[in-house]
Amino acid sequence: MVYPPKSSRAKNGSVAAGKVWLVGAGPGNADLLTIRALRAIENADLILFDQLVSDEIRALFPKQVPHFYVGKVKGQHSIEQQDLNALLVKKARAGLNVCRVKGGDPFVFGRGGEELLALLAAGVDAEVVPGITAASGCTTNAGIPLTHRGLAQGCTLVTAQGEKEAALNWQALASLNHTLVFYMGVSRAQWIAESLINAGLDTNTPAAVIENGCRHNQRVLVSDIANLPALIQLEAVTSPALIVVGQVVSLAATLHVPAAGFVETCQRLSA
Amino acid sequence: MLAVLTLFTVNMDYLPLFHNLRNRPCLLIGGGQIALRKARLLIAAGAQVRVLAPEVLPELAALIQGANGHIVLAEYAPQHLDQMALVVCATDNHHINQQVSQDCFARFLPVNVVDSPELCSVITPAIVDRSPVMIAFSSGGEAPVMARMLRAKIESVIPASFGQLAQLASKFREKVKAAFDDGDKRRRFWEAVLGGTIAEKVLSGNIASAEADLEQLLQNPSVETRGEVYLVGAGPGDPDLLTFKALRLMQQAEVVLYDRLVSPPIMNLVRRDAERIYVGKRRHDHAVEQTQINQMLLELAQQGKRVLRLKGGDPFIFGRGGEEIELLAEHGIPFQIVPGITAASGCAAYAGIPLTHRDYAQSVRFITGHLKDGSFNLPWTELISNQQTLVFYMGLVGLPTICAELIRHGKPQNTPCALIEKGTLPEQKVHLGDLTSLPELVKNTEIHAPTLLIIGPVASLHKKLAWFGGSAPN
Repeated sequence: MVYPPKSSRAKNGSVAAGKVWLVGAGPGNADLLTIRALRAIENADLILFDQLVSDEIRALFPKQVPHFYVGKVKGQHSIEQQDLNALLVKKARAGLNVCRVKGGDPFVFGRGGEELLALLAAGVDAEVVPGITAASGCTTNAGIPLTHRGLAQGCTLVTAQGEKEAALNWQALASLNHTLVFYMGVSRAQWIAESLINAGLDTNTPAAVIENGCRHNQRVLVSDIANLPALIQLEAVTSPALIVVGQVVSLAATLHVPAAGFVETCQRLSA
Repeated sequence: MLAVLTLFTVNMDYLPLFHNLRNRPCLLIGGGQIALRKARLLIAAGAQVRVLAPEVLPELAALIQGANGHIVLAEYAPQHLDQMALVVCATDNHHINQQVSQDCFARFLPVNVVDSPELCSVITPAIVDRSPVMIAFSSGGEAPVMARMLRAKIESVIPASFGQLAQLASKFREKVKAAFDDGDKRRRFWEAVLGGTIAEKVLSGNIASAEADLEQLLQNPSVETRGEVYLVGAGPGDPDLLTFKALRLMQQAEVVLYDRLVSPPIMNLVRRDAERIYVGKRRHDHAVEQTQINQMLLELAQQGKRVLRLKGGDPFIFGRGGEEIELLAEHGIPFQIVPGITAASGCAAYAGIPLTHRDYAQSVRFITGHLKDGSFNLPWTELISNQQTLVFYMGLVGLPTICAELIRHGKPQNTPCALIEKGTLPEQKVHLGDLTSLPELVKNTEIHAPTLLIIGPVASLHKKLAWFGGSAPN
């Protein structure tokens, strides 16, 4: 009695292979979803999403389409990347159009490259839909330009997690005229600050942490690199959060977009 | 007008109605995937779902039990229709579908048979849910794909937070009614509110401030509206990569300032009657100086206009957005900044080059490849470390210098590089090489801006991961 899915119903009897979309859902605000991303979500027979996909975006998943959480929960066993790759291949081969929705951008710390590699190697048709990466969306909402004349000639996005952290070249990161954005860094703020200062970064360098960026409960805390770890602890900042280091952070007060939570935070800091 | 009206009344195949199913018993016949989908929909509407099928998917069973529904493991018989408010039939057995349909029609009981409009007395529309606002549309079961396409279009013009706007309107309804006894004036007031800066505040989540403005406007309805500036990232070129917020503000602005990096298909989506001002720069021909742009934005906003500053990519990544906003902030002009997909993200996705990868790159660095007085002022020694991806924006002219300097400072000559030409657009080309071969290749090829240069081991993944358009033959 199992009905064939809509994507394979076109050809009589035979099951046509489905396709997989690796979709970046951006930083959290549904308004910052791209048109292409929503189209992929709407054409899906199955949606697999991870923890960085906000409730607001999940509310856009069509009610009749099954959707499953496949993200990681810190400290708990979750679905392994290899198993997830295999699942994507299996479902597409069974004729389902699968939408794999990720927070931010699939190709910036999203492991989208690994999933795309597995899909194309298995002969499964796939597409990548870029999203606004957290470094861009969250800093904009906090009024921090990643580049700015006279303050930053460029920016570097870094992940603070992962097995290859030893490979980080702190000397190169601590170079001047540059904005640094650390993803998933909140639990390692102390290590980041110490490493940068040891590599020669001025202790007065402005630094900010953006918690729940682009969401209704966004908080922006501004300090300098030496004091940021203590501030994070004091304010009990939790993931998801981004750490931004560089002179551009000093613009946050003048350029801030009056998003919920921001003004209150600034007042508390100056009190 | 009359002709249209007549046509409409004669040809209306269905009467659109909204069905209140809260706590009402609904029979869902079928236990498979399609039934599962329909069950989700019925449960979302608060219906009491009774599933009838000889066997039922475990997932469906769990869903129904979780929602206090019932499962009846049996073949269909007409008595199952007793006391039902609605029947949805989702089996793959045509005989059963026909029987159910016939029995329901005989009892004047609304029935929907999935994918068989001829057996239905009611059909399910495509839905855009902005509760309390709900939009449903249908192609009469004739062209469901078209209804879905239409739905995507509607989704794009009605922001996700539209429901909150409806809530605001409902909250102030009585107050506005008391302030204006004239119906026409009231309508004009609401039109101004729901299409103006107050509505925009609600849609961007700033509800308290919107309510304060609305209160103020009610006290003094003649108060002149202030202008506003929207600094919007238009993304890398493909109009499909616009965000919903960008698209909405493009439809709202009265004046648009744009530059060369905004592609023509994107400009086509700007409100038709908006004034368009080109302020772009070409390399040798500075169309309008940055300070002049800043001044123009300020003056237009001071005139009370809603001004859109549309930029390629993202306004805060080599977009000089910060400079444009500084002056506005100084003068207390309200502004919004909308991030866009930066060229690095867009081009990387469409070229099949992940910017980070567990095995190859733990960080990615965005650098401007723009030469100043014919040379670069870059910390080359810091750019040669492994495990990072380098992305140069506007790097075509400086490409030979960039590659030469990297080699001179110790980056391996065979480091893979990709130059992406017109990324994300149908005419996208990816030129692949290494630090020695790419400058040669570029010298002998005609290449059109905009371009993006990616340097690092991830560039070589293009060969395996290309999924969009063509690669350059090399």
